[in-house]
Amino acid sequence: MSVAVSLVPGLLMGWLLARWQSPLRALLQGVVMLPLVLPPVVTGYLLLKLFGARGPLGAAYEGVTGGRIAYTTAACVIAAAVVGFPLMVESIRLSILGVDRRLEQVSRTLGRGRWATFLRVTLPLSLPGIVAGSVLTFARSLGEFGATIILAGDVEGETRTIPIAVYSALNAVDGDDAAMRLVLVSVAISLLALLVAFAFMGWQRRRLGNP
Amino acid sequence: MAILDVAITHRFSRFALDVKFSSDGPVLGIFGPSGSGKSTILHAIAGLFAPKVADISVRTRTVQSHLGTFVAPERREIGYVTQDALLFPHLSVRQNLLYAPRADGLDSLNAKRILDVLRLEPLLKRTPATLSGGEKQRVALGRALLSQPELLLLDEPMSALDAALSREVLALLLEIKEVLRVPMVLVSHRAHEIAALCDECIVLNEGRIAAKGDPLEVLARPGHSAGFDNILRLEITRHERDKGISWLELGSGQELAAPLSERALGSRASVGIFADEIILCLEKPRGLSARNVLAAMVRSTVESGPDTIVNLKIGQAHTLLAHVTHSAAAELNLTQGREVFAIIKTSGCVIL
Repeated sequence: MSVAVSLVPGLLMGWLLARWQSPLRALLQGVVMLPLVLPPVVTGYLLLKLFGARGPLGAAYEGVTGGRIAYTTAACVIAAAVVGFPLMVESIRLSILGVDRRLEQVSRTLGRGRWATFLRVTLPLSLPGIVAGSVLTFARSLGEFGATIILAGDVEGETRTIPIAVYSALNAVDGDDAAMRLVLVSVAISLLALLVAFAFMGWQRRRLGNP
Repeated sequence: MAILDVAITHRFSRFALDVKFSSDGPVLGIFGPSGSGKSTILHAIAGLFAPKVADISVRTRTVQSHLGTFVAPERREIGYVTQDALLFPHLSVRQNLLYAPRADGLDSLNAKRILDVLRLEPLLKRTPATLSGGEKQRVALGRALLSQPELLLLDEPMSALDAALSREVLALLLEIKEVLRVPMVLVSHRAHEIAALCDECIVLNEGRIAAKGDPLEVLARPGHSAGFDNILRLEITRHERDKGISWLELGSGQELAAPLSERALGSRASVGIFADEIILCLEKPRGLSARNVLAAMVRSTVESGPDTIVNLKIGQAHTLLAHVTHSAAAELNLTQGREVFAIIKTSGCVIL
């Protein structure tokens, strides 16, 4: 979910950070990268201030829909997306930087505008980075603990993510077996995601004829 | 009709570009050393770079003016082909060719002629990664031509290729010029390419125009003669397959022997001759292995570095430039009107 939520903004932000020529770019990049270096608990606290019942976005959401965000599944998704976003943006930014600008220029002279060029040239050629970014975000969101526990808490069946479940199981009496099962599931999912990503990137490299 | 009107002033940190020229084409050459601003001018014409102050019109349509007009590159209808073919690696050759929205299928009459001239039909199903350098450049030219450009910009299109392949591409460009009649601007640091293809030429040096005019005249001046080639457009009259020779008509009862070509009889071909490989002789020699002993008349001579460049008239008003040393020029008394024989080995003539 958090991958899906952050994919399109991640693409736009990656493109912007790769191609935008402006002194403001460094500032924007810093803000986007912030969740990567902040302790997740701090990120979670800031998000809670923003999305909590009395936070500006949380209150607005409640005013419109009557529901709340904090301590729901949506909160898990938001926490995971924000924490994973820098990883997504950075790998997309790097792969867009790897696309030869002159290919984009040729596309323009052939009559395709900026947007069409992005969709037809830049996007397909940076696909490996987009996949890598998605996998990293996915892996990061699976492992996300600090921001989630603050913003979403530990509500069974709703906000209990794998790491939170592992943590609760370990705290419970006789929870060792349950924790081990969850750990195995976690390792399996992560490994599978990585293998799929590597297979895809290998296929893409062969297709483009690079060694 | 003017194909191009350009006035650009732009200050870079390294040098200033300040040029003003116009061309009636059909093919304009921009010659100069690397770093002289040649490619920057093409970028400005294509709209890939916006100079501070510029007035640029392509076939009388203003694409940039100092009053603020700036037409986006995708709406300029200008083809752009560079040293690296820059094919889209994720698309097949066919998809590359059809990339431009103005490319209307490969079945149209126009498209068929382009595929024909560039011999692209056998390559359609391949991917760029499997093409050779020359094939890539052919596809790049085809892709640009299929977008039906008003003007084709060529930025050193032959520089990345070896000698044989660059001759092949040069011959294709000549065919594009004659058969498809697309106006072009060729940027090159090789004089013989400019001389072979262009009707007009400007010489650029450190962002300024150092000379302009007829390519043969401009390029024969001292300092620009490196690697000079003669390129003649001649009709093929006979193939002597057993001897491995093709004969070409020079006019006035003269013929030129070149290595056997697969081109059809009666077709016009471009023949390249290195100026260094021409020997001049005052009397007609006998018992000579070289096939070509051509009566010629000296039109003019120019001193260029260690060499004298001799401008000769052969056959029906064809021009042949030969390099000789100063002492040889003096000894043979090569002055205007002097009658000489130009000796060229068959292998010194290359049908492009």
